[in-house]
Amino acid sequence: MGMLRVISKRGDDRVNWNEQDALTGDPEAIAAIREAERIFEHERARGATAFRVEAGKPVERLEQFDPQAAQIILVPRVVGG
Amino acid sequence: MNVELLVYVLLGIIAALSLGLLWRLTLDSYLKWSEANRRANELLRSVLTCEQYRHLKRHGYLDIPSPRDPGCIYRVPQAQGLVGVIEQGRRKASLCLQPLEWVPDADIVVMHKLMIEADEETYLQMANKLTPI
Repeated sequence: MGMLRVISKRGDDRVNWNEQDALTGDPEAIAAIREAERIFEHERARGATAFRVEAGKPVERLEQFDPQAAQIILVPRVVGG
Repeated sequence: MNVELLVYVLLGIIAALSLGLLWRLTLDSYLKWSEANRRANELLRSVLTCEQYRHLKRHGYLDIPSPRDPGCIYRVPQAQGLVGVIEQGRRKASLCLQPLEWVPDADIVVMHKLMIEADEETYLQMANKLTPI
């Protein structure tokens, strides 16, 4: 299972997907991955930064959507104050 | 019918409706703010260890060791504010970096933690650095 969490004024918006089901051709699972990827690209275009965050592993910056990631967190655009 | 009385009644109705609308808007805003904070806190708990979370709640800040400099710690406040750069126990500088849009305080702690741990160099390039005179 994968999860995309987009930090926003609402706390965080979440999209879940199941890569195993998508690999077996489940149309709903494939659609969920496409939707997560679309949101990922949209937020990145707005200046968000993406991180792969998985238990027991170092945090890693992501430049491209990875459906194999267990959790991706998108941080909105930041600026020096 | 007394016209003056009618005007007062109408004004009273308008005032009551306005107050009701204002109350509803305030309540809606509060509920959204409260839900956002609850979700942000849930995310924060999931990215911190139990010990880190306890420390944050007890002391009001989170210490994040610099990945590239073992003698350096970033002190991230629980509420929005400057991030301290601590070297050998002393605050050497303060960093200011914030999201363009409002997000709950807990999400800001998450933001600093992820950026420092995953890409410290970019974090330092983006932050505005304030050094004591």
